[in-house]
Amino acid sequence: MLGTTFRGGVHPRDCKEFSRDAAPVVYDAKGEMVFPLSQHIGKPAKPLVKPGDPVLAGQKIAEADGYVSSPVYCSCSGTVKAIERRKTILGESECIVVDNDRQFREGKGIGAEADEAQLSREEILRRIREAGVVGMGGASFPTPVKLEPKNPEGIEYIIVNGAECEPYITCDDQLMRTHPKEIVRGLGILLRLFPQAQGVILIEENKPEAIAAIQEAMAGQSGMRLQIAPKKYPQGGERAIIKVVSGRDTQISQLPADAGCIVDNAATVYAVYEAVCRSMPLFRRIVSVTGTAVRNPGNFIVRAGTSCAELLEAAGGVKEGAEIKKALSGGPMMGIALPSLNVPMQKGSGALVLLAEDEAEQSVTKLTNCIRCGRCVEACPMGLMPLLMAAAAQRKDYKRYEQKLYGLECITCGSCTWVCPAKRPLMQTFKDAKAAILSARRK
Amino acid sequence: MESASLYNVSSSPHVRSSLTTGNVMLDVCLALLPATLFGVWHFGFHAALVILMSIASAVLTEYVFDFITGRENTLKDGSAVVTGLLLALCLPPSVPLYIPYIGAVFAVLVVKNLFGGLGKNFMNPALGGRVFLLLSFGGAMTRYAVDGVSSATPLDTLASGGAANAVQMWTGHAGGVIGCSTAALLIGGLFLWAADGITWHIPVSTLLSFAAFLALFGGEFMTPGMILAQIGGGGIVMAAFFMATDPVTCPVTAPGQIVYGICVGTLSGLFRLFGSSADSVSYAVILSNLLTPLIDEVIVPKPYGFRAGEGVSKPHWSKWLPAAACAVLGTVLVSGLVLGGVSSATRGIIEERRLAENIATYQAVLPEAVSFGFQDGASAAIEALDGGVYGTDFGNAYVNEAVEAKDASGGVIGYLISVTSADGRDGPITLCAGILPDGTLNGIAFTELNETPGIGMVVGEAAFMDQFVGLKADRLTLGAEVDAATGATISSTAVVNAVNAALDFYAAHIQAS
Repeated sequence: MLGTTFRGGVHPRDCKEFSRDAAPVVYDAKGEMVFPLSQHIGKPAKPLVKPGDPVLAGQKIAEADGYVSSPVYCSCSGTVKAIERRKTILGESECIVVDNDRQFREGKGIGAEADEAQLSREEILRRIREAGVVGMGGASFPTPVKLEPKNPEGIEYIIVNGAECEPYITCDDQLMRTHPKEIVRGLGILLRLFPQAQGVILIEENKPEAIAAIQEAMAGQSGMRLQIAPKKYPQGGERAIIKVVSGRDTQISQLPADAGCIVDNAATVYAVYEAVCRSMPLFRRIVSVTGTAVRNPGNFIVRAGTSCAELLEAAGGVKEGAEIKKALSGGPMMGIALPSLNVPMQKGSGALVLLAEDEAEQSVTKLTNCIRCGRCVEACPMGLMPLLMAAAAQRKDYKRYEQKLYGLECITCGSCTWVCPAKRPLMQTFKDAKAAILSARRK
Repeated sequence: MESASLYNVSSSPHVRSSLTTGNVMLDVCLALLPATLFGVWHFGFHAALVILMSIASAVLTEYVFDFITGRENTLKDGSAVVTGLLLALCLPPSVPLYIPYIGAVFAVLVVKNLFGGLGKNFMNPALGGRVFLLLSFGGAMTRYAVDGVSSATPLDTLASGGAANAVQMWTGHAGGVIGCSTAALLIGGLFLWAADGITWHIPVSTLLSFAAFLALFGGEFMTPGMILAQIGGGGIVMAAFFMATDPVTCPVTAPGQIVYGICVGTLSGLFRLFGSSADSVSYAVILSNLLTPLIDEVIVPKPYGFRAGEGVSKPHWSKWLPAAACAVLGTVLVSGLVLGGVSSATRGIIEERRLAENIATYQAVLPEAVSFGFQDGASAAIEALDGGVYGTDFGNAYVNEAVEAKDASGGVIGYLISVTSADGRDGPITLCAGILPDGTLNGIAFTELNETPGIGMVVGEAAFMDQFVGLKADRLTLGAEVDAATGATISSTAVVNAVNAALDFYAAHIQAS
C-alpha cells in the first residue's frame, strides 16, 4: 500500500549501497572525549563536574537548565580535563573534555531492567527526561517536551519516523534491522502515555529488511501499524510525514501536536526504550560513516563525544585515490558541512558523510540564469514558489517574501536547490531571508 | 589530527541533480528532430541550408554579444541553438538565406540579450524574430513554394472556404513552413512531455480551447473534420508544444499555465477565424507572453497548510471541476460573443464594400438597377456548398455570390449571380450573369478572364457575349442557343457551363423560394 504521499518532493540517488548492509560494529573511542553542553535545542546544560573529577561511563556530567534543555552524560571513564570552548558540529560550544582511560567502567544501576507496565506515566516521563533523550534525527529537540503537549487527549498518532530519506545514511535502517523488538517496545511505552493514540511506524520502501523485521516484531501488538511509503525526499520531514500518516496539513508555526501527532525518529524511540526499560541514559548511538571518500563505509555503535576524525579512521580512513572535498554531519540534503573533522560526535548526529566531490560547487561553476522552468515549484513539498521567493529575497523585498509568497513556510529541505537546472543557490537565499526577517521582528 | 587544509563549507543541500540548463535545451532540440528531418526530407536541400543558417546565426550572435559585453560565455546553456532551430522551422522552405540570418540576429540580440539574456526576455525570441521578419519581409515570408511552384498554403484554402486535405496537413505533405509536419511535431511534443521537459497543461489547454473556439464560432461549416484540419495547419501544434511552453515566457504554476493556454488557444482561434489566418498563432503566443507576469502575480498558490478545508486533503474533483469548467467555458464564450458582436457590426460594412467593388459589373448586366443587396436564402445556399463544385452537369463550376438588384423604388428587378468556371483554357473564368425575375438572361459580364489574346479571349467580345441577352431556357447548349466563339471552343464551353450553373442556381435557390 503505497497510496498516500505528500506533494512535490524529489528523487535524489539514495547512495545507500555504501553502508546499507554493514551491520553495526562497536567502536570504543581511544582519544579524549568532548561533550558539548549545547547539543540540543534549548538552553545549554549546566556542568556538574569540574576539572580533575573522576567520571564513569553513564554518569551525568551536566544537568538540564530549565524545561527546554537536556542533561549530558559521560560515555567513558576517566578524568575531567577541562571545561572550555571547543569547536563543535554546530559551530562552537562550552564543552566538558574528559581524558579517556579506555576502561569504559560504567556507573551503578546502568542497565537495570524494568517493566514499563509497572511504571506510572510520571515515572516513564521522568526516566526519559533524566536519560537526556533528544530527537536523534538531526534536530535534537528534547523528547520529553514533545511528550507533554498542551492537548494530550488530542493526540491521535504517535509516528515513528523510520523513513531515513536522506541519501547515504543507513543508521536507522540498521537499527530497525537489528533492534526491531526494542523499537516496537519503545513505541508501546509512548502509547502508554497516550492510550487513545494509534502507533504508526513509517518506513520507505527501499528498506525491505527493516520492513520485514519491524513487521515481525509488531505481530500480535495492538494499537499500532506499519506504513510503507514510496521513496521520496523529504519523506522524513516532520510536516511531510504528518501529511502521509494522518492526511493533515500543517503550517510552519504549528506543532505536530496541533495536528494530533507526535513524531519521533526510530533511534529516539529506541533511546526511550533504553531509558525506561534498561535505565540506560543516552550516550551511545549508531552512526553511519559513509560517502564516496571513505575506504570502508559502515555503521558503528559510537559513544557520544568521540572525535569525528577518529571515527573516520575506524572506517578505514580516506579511500585511496580519493580526497575529502566535503565533510558532512548528517546527509547531503540537509546535513551540516564541517570545515574540519576535529569535532566530537553528539547525540543527534547519526551520520558522518565524506564526499570526494562537492556538487554544491556547481552553484558557482555551472550557474546560469533562472529560466523559470518551474521545477522548483513542482518539487517544493510546501507548495511554495521558490523562484519568486528567490527574486524577492534578492531584492530584499521581505514584505512580499513573507506575505505574498509565504516564504517563512520554507522547511529548508533543499529540494528546489537540488532540482534546479540553472544551479541557483535558492535555499541559501531563503535561509538568509528568514534570518533577516526574524531578526527584524525581534527589534 | 588537524588537517592542513579545511574542507569546503556551504549551505545544504550538498548534492545536485544531473539536470542542467543545457540538458533542458538539448531535450527541446531532440524533440524538434522529427519535424526537422521531415522538413529537410520533404522540402530538400535548401530547407537544410535555412535551418543551418538560422542556428549558426543565432549561435554566432550570442557569441559576439558575450564577447563584446564581456559576459561569461553563455553558449553552453544551448538556448541560442534552440532559438535558431525554432525560428527556422517557422520559415517557408524557399526563403532566401538572408531571412533566417536577419531573423536569428533579431531574435537573439534584440528579443533576448538586450532584455538581459536567457530567462529575462518577455517574449519568445524565435517568435519575436519570426514576427519581425513577417512585418519587414512580408513577401518572402508568405511565399510558399511546393516543388518549385508557388501555391496557396492549405490555410489560405481553408480561409477562403475551400476544403483542404486534413491528412496531408497532418503529415506535412500539404506544404507550409519547414516544420509543417503536425504529426512529427506531435511526436516530438509527446517525447518532450515524457522527458519532463514540459507538462501537459499548456499543450492541452491551448489545443482544447482552440478547438472549442472554432467549434463555437466557426459557423456551421466548422465540422469536426474541419477542426482537425485547422489544428493540422498554421503552427498551432508547434505553438502548443514548443512556443507557448517556452518556460521563460510562460507562467510557472499549473493553474497559471492552464489560464495561459486558454489565452493562446482562444486568441489563435480568434485571429484564425476573424483575422489574417496564416500568422494568427505567432501573435496569439506573443500576446499571451505579455500576460505571463500578470498571471504569475495573480495566481500564487496557497502553500501547504493554508489551503481551503485545512486538515482535509485535496477537495474532491466534483467540488472544483464544475467551477473550473465554467471559468474556462465562460472565458471562451465571453471572448467569442464580443468577437461575434464586433464581427456582425462590421459585417454590414464589409458587405457594402464587396458590393461596391462589383457595382460596375452589376450595372453592365442590369443597367436599371440602383441598389444591390445580398439575399439571405441564396447566401445560405452558397455557404452550404462549402466551396465545392456546383452541380454535376457544369464541369468545374463554383457559385461565388448571389445579389439582389433593386430599382429606385426598392422593387426587385433581377438577380446577379457570380460563377467561376475552372475549365478555362488558360485559367479560371469568372462571370456575372444578370437574370430577370422570370428567369430570362439579361446579359453576362466577365470579372476574371485571363485567356490567351486572339484565342480564348474572343469569348470576351460582344459578338459572343451578346448572344446571351434575352435568352430564356433552363439549360443552354453550345451550338443551339449559343454559337461557340471562333477558335475558342474550350473557353466557350466553360462560359456556357458557368451560365448554366447560374441559371440552375437561380431556379433552384431563388426562384423556387
